[in-house]
Amino acid sequence: MKDREMGQPTNVNRKMIWTIGGGKGGSGKSFLAANMGICLSQLGLKVILIDADLGGANLHTFLGVPPPTFSLSDFIQKRVSHLEEVLIPTSVPNLQLLSGAQDLLNAADTKSVQKRKILRSIQHLESDYILVDLGGGNALNTLDFFLISDGGILVVTPEPTSIENTYRFLKSAFYRRLRGAVSSSSAKILIDGAMDRKNELGIQNPSDLIEAMNRISEEEAKRVVAEVEGFHPNLILNQVRTKKDIEVGFSIRSACKKYFGIHLHYLGYVVYDQDVGNSIRKRKPLVLENPRSKAAQCVAEIASKLANKHPMAIRFQGEER
Amino acid sequence: MKRIEEQTYYEILEVAPDATSREIQQAYEHAKETFQNDSVAIYSLFSEKEMKKIQEVIEEAYRVLTEETLRKNYDQTHLSSLNLKWPKSEKLPETPESPMEKKTYLPFSEISIELGEGPYRGKMLKQIRERMGMDLKTISMETRIPVKILEVIEEETVERLPARVYLKGFLKGYAQCLGLDPNKVIEDYLHSLEPAKKK
Repeated sequence: MKDREMGQPTNVNRKMIWTIGGGKGGSGKSFLAANMGICLSQLGLKVILIDADLGGANLHTFLGVPPPTFSLSDFIQKRVSHLEEVLIPTSVPNLQLLSGAQDLLNAADTKSVQKRKILRSIQHLESDYILVDLGGGNALNTLDFFLISDGGILVVTPEPTSIENTYRFLKSAFYRRLRGAVSSSSAKILIDGAMDRKNELGIQNPSDLIEAMNRISEEEAKRVVAEVEGFHPNLILNQVRTKKDIEVGFSIRSACKKYFGIHLHYLGYVVYDQDVGNSIRKRKPLVLENPRSKAAQCVAEIASKLANKHPMAIRFQGEER
Repeated sequence: MKRIEEQTYYEILEVAPDATSREIQQAYEHAKETFQNDSVAIYSLFSEKEMKKIQEVIEEAYRVLTEETLRKNYDQTHLSSLNLKWPKSEKLPETPESPMEKKTYLPFSEISIELGEGPYRGKMLKQIRERMGMDLKTISMETRIPVKILEVIEEETVERLPARVYLKGFLKGYAQCLGLDPNKVIEDYLHSLEPAKKK
């Protein structure tokens, strides 16, 4: 086995880490993570799925494997010496599962040093793609993971409840990102204040915040603007039933532009399909069980877009690896 | 980022300054739909006051940009001072990275009319592309589809084509980049593969 010392840049540049979060339980994050992971691995990419859903880790069920006996904590507690040892194989070639829920995101006590250490170990795992299922919460660690990944994906269904929760998550992530970019405590306090709509400063939205920030320090305001411009979350609309539902994705993109000033990238949509429910009940991933179903084709299309963002790694079917 | 009141009417409607009246009409309909009071896409995001302001400015942008004289005057007073953020023929910064974001086709659709309506096979796609003076590298950058895959698609190297579901995605991206109807291209192309596959 290769030596995997910290900081050693083994293939790190080629790897992409995508996180899937936001919205609420039941919007399809785990379903999408599992099935997109399979699609990517079918393209010849080496994929690791990480289950970091604190409240309801069940990515294994979507993949049809038994509840994992090993997890990230075995590595952290030094019960195993290499992170590779806690990877769980699946029936799909090129696809492995890492159960990490409790350790990654639990805990107000996950110190940032430790977080970075875990992250670095993950970054050094041998793979082309890492997909992290973050679950639905807004915990600070969840937000951090979403923000430091190469791409954060929000999964939304076209219903007010799901959209409300997604905006709540996006606001938390957005302000957390800005908070990390400013240095003075007065600027941090201002951002904390902005998150509460009833704040005394009358800051109602990100534009108000930047204006207020400008009054404190032009430098800090510039940093905030740069952070806004560099924030490009992605969106997948799940369970769409009508053409109008598909348009909701474009509308969310426009709304984000107007409200946050950010470019949200609409990755695609997945149609509502009874085959999804059937595949989950059978504990067999949809894209394997019923690849011709409408939903499976939508998932595959989105996965191919993710693969396109990683052109170095794409391989032809049937081509030798 | 700019406040609503600081944005140009083009930014409000998310169109380029050289947008055609048809594009403006479409953009207006999208904006109106997005920012109507009971729109699910904006649920919980804006306050009532913010909504009212956005709705007003969308109407005003539409009124000005769809009236030739008003638009000309507006362009003179607003665009020159802004150094024309989006010079002519350049795409919006908002321009989609992914093929599915079909809102902003490249303005090449007339070529498809010129060449007839298909059937779109590999050779045909290649011809259309060459007529536009675009090389595979440009298409690849535009669509993020690797050059190798584009080649295989154009040459119809059946045994090296990616699996059907992925192929569809690639064809869609390629078709959109050429300004062709993606559904027609996918249908024609897959249809053309049928007999070859059975052999």
